[in-house]
Amino acid sequence: MDASTAGPPHWDPYNQKYFANPYPVFKRLREEAPIYHNEEYDFWAVSRYDDIQRVLGDYETFSSARGDILEFVKANMPIPPGVFIMTDPPIHTAYRTALTKVFTPKKMNALEPQIRAFCAKALDPLVEGGEFDFVQHLGKEMPMRVIGMLLGVPDQDLKAVQRDGVEKLESERGKPLDLSEHDFVAEGFGDYIDWRYKNPSDDLMTELINVDFKDETGTIRKFSRDEILTICSIIAGAGNDTTNRLIGWTGKTLAEHPDQRRQIYENRALIPQAIEEILRFEPPGPSVARYVAKDTEFYGVKVPAGAAMCALSASGNRDETKFENADTFNINRERKPHLGFGFGFHACLGNALARIESRVALDEILNRFPEWECDLDNAQLASTSVMRGWETLPAYTPKAKARRANA
Amino acid sequence: MPKVTYIEFNGTPHAVDVPVGNSVMEGAKHNGVPGIDADCGGNCSCGTCHVYIEPEWRERVGPRTEFEELTIQFSSDVDEESSRLGCQIRVTDALDGLVVRMPPTQK
Repeated sequence: MDASTAGPPHWDPYNQKYFANPYPVFKRLREEAPIYHNEEYDFWAVSRYDDIQRVLGDYETFSSARGDILEFVKANMPIPPGVFIMTDPPIHTAYRTALTKVFTPKKMNALEPQIRAFCAKALDPLVEGGEFDFVQHLGKEMPMRVIGMLLGVPDQDLKAVQRDGVEKLESERGKPLDLSEHDFVAEGFGDYIDWRYKNPSDDLMTELINVDFKDETGTIRKFSRDEILTICSIIAGAGNDTTNRLIGWTGKTLAEHPDQRRQIYENRALIPQAIEEILRFEPPGPSVARYVAKDTEFYGVKVPAGAAMCALSASGNRDETKFENADTFNINRERKPHLGFGFGFHACLGNALARIESRVALDEILNRFPEWECDLDNAQLASTSVMRGWETLPAYTPKAKARRANA
Repeated sequence: MPKVTYIEFNGTPHAVDVPVGNSVMEGAKHNGVPGIDADCGGNCSCGTCHVYIEPEWRERVGPRTEFEELTIQFSSDVDEESSRLGCQIRVTDALDGLVVRMPPTQK
């Protein structure tokens, strides 16, 4: 019997089969159990678009103070100052206001030439052979270099920072994330920060050192060194793996829809809406968690204070009541806001950066590889409970495929 | 149908009919009015549908919400008194004749 079609709907976030394709289960949850309780791991989940917005828009009932990842919410561990993603207003507002100013669309769009250069550097050596890996060659390279450039971390140290961020959120297949040795801060940034205090530059770290921050008591102050360390760790982590997964999904989704890929190839003005549709169809961050701070109710079912609540944004993105033919990938669909960057007070701070990176990446891929197929037999999904996306996604051009067949 | 006038930064006005219930952002997008990017499509998360409300309309349009206050930090050239995000203003009959101005550059 297939658990996705028989018996009451059941969603186990750690089950690898559901992880590979969660959409049939999500559909059943939306239809049959819009408020779902998982007994094994003791958490609740909402899967309909409107309910997800309700959870993410009401911080008084659904708090971020214990984290936004299920394992964190359940562990209830102490969270150091500066972990702004794990706070509620007014503390969150203070951090977010200061950080938003350094991630504005205007500033992020100004990075376009450098982003193009990073893409060229990653892709140019592969044009001749016609074989490339969306994740290993581009997704793991370009966003990391952009974040490194923003923070002011030298090239030779970027990989270590990237590894640190990814390893912290990597889980053993089929199991929840082990937080027993988790620490929030990449102490590796300490040396750069000390250096930047003495040698200011035009990078984000310098900006974080200088920015006036109005804390929750209304006092204007600077960020402490510890806060800067924490913020840099979060930004490095958030800016690496997310866009990486988005680039992977871009490769996979457009390989499976060559007609739409050709439309984009012919008319690059379609790139922004194509990226939004990929974010709707395969969001790299499929779910966010909240701590239920006070008793609440969905569809007559009481959800008690103290519970853990998952908002399944990837399911909301397939909600038929919001998106017509939601399971169909269609770059020309009527624009409605997707939940790929979340919703509400904690909606992705780096959304403008992710947008410019992924748009440029797609443009530069099409410039070099107008046509490709993915080698799914040799592709691998990553194992993190936070992100859903490819760890390797090899692809080849039609010419390289023919060459392979003749070899 | 309520009429909304969007004035580009260079002074070009665009007077269009916007159905009740649509947002000021949607009114611009659906009628091809330039100067509104609306990257996120209207869930108040990107700050790229920034408009200035003309003084005589501010009271009827109302102030920024707590949530909008946070997102508008993404926008450039924000004015304390008149800046709003177009996606957060629902057009009603009471807003018939509304005039909004566009910022120098949206992104």
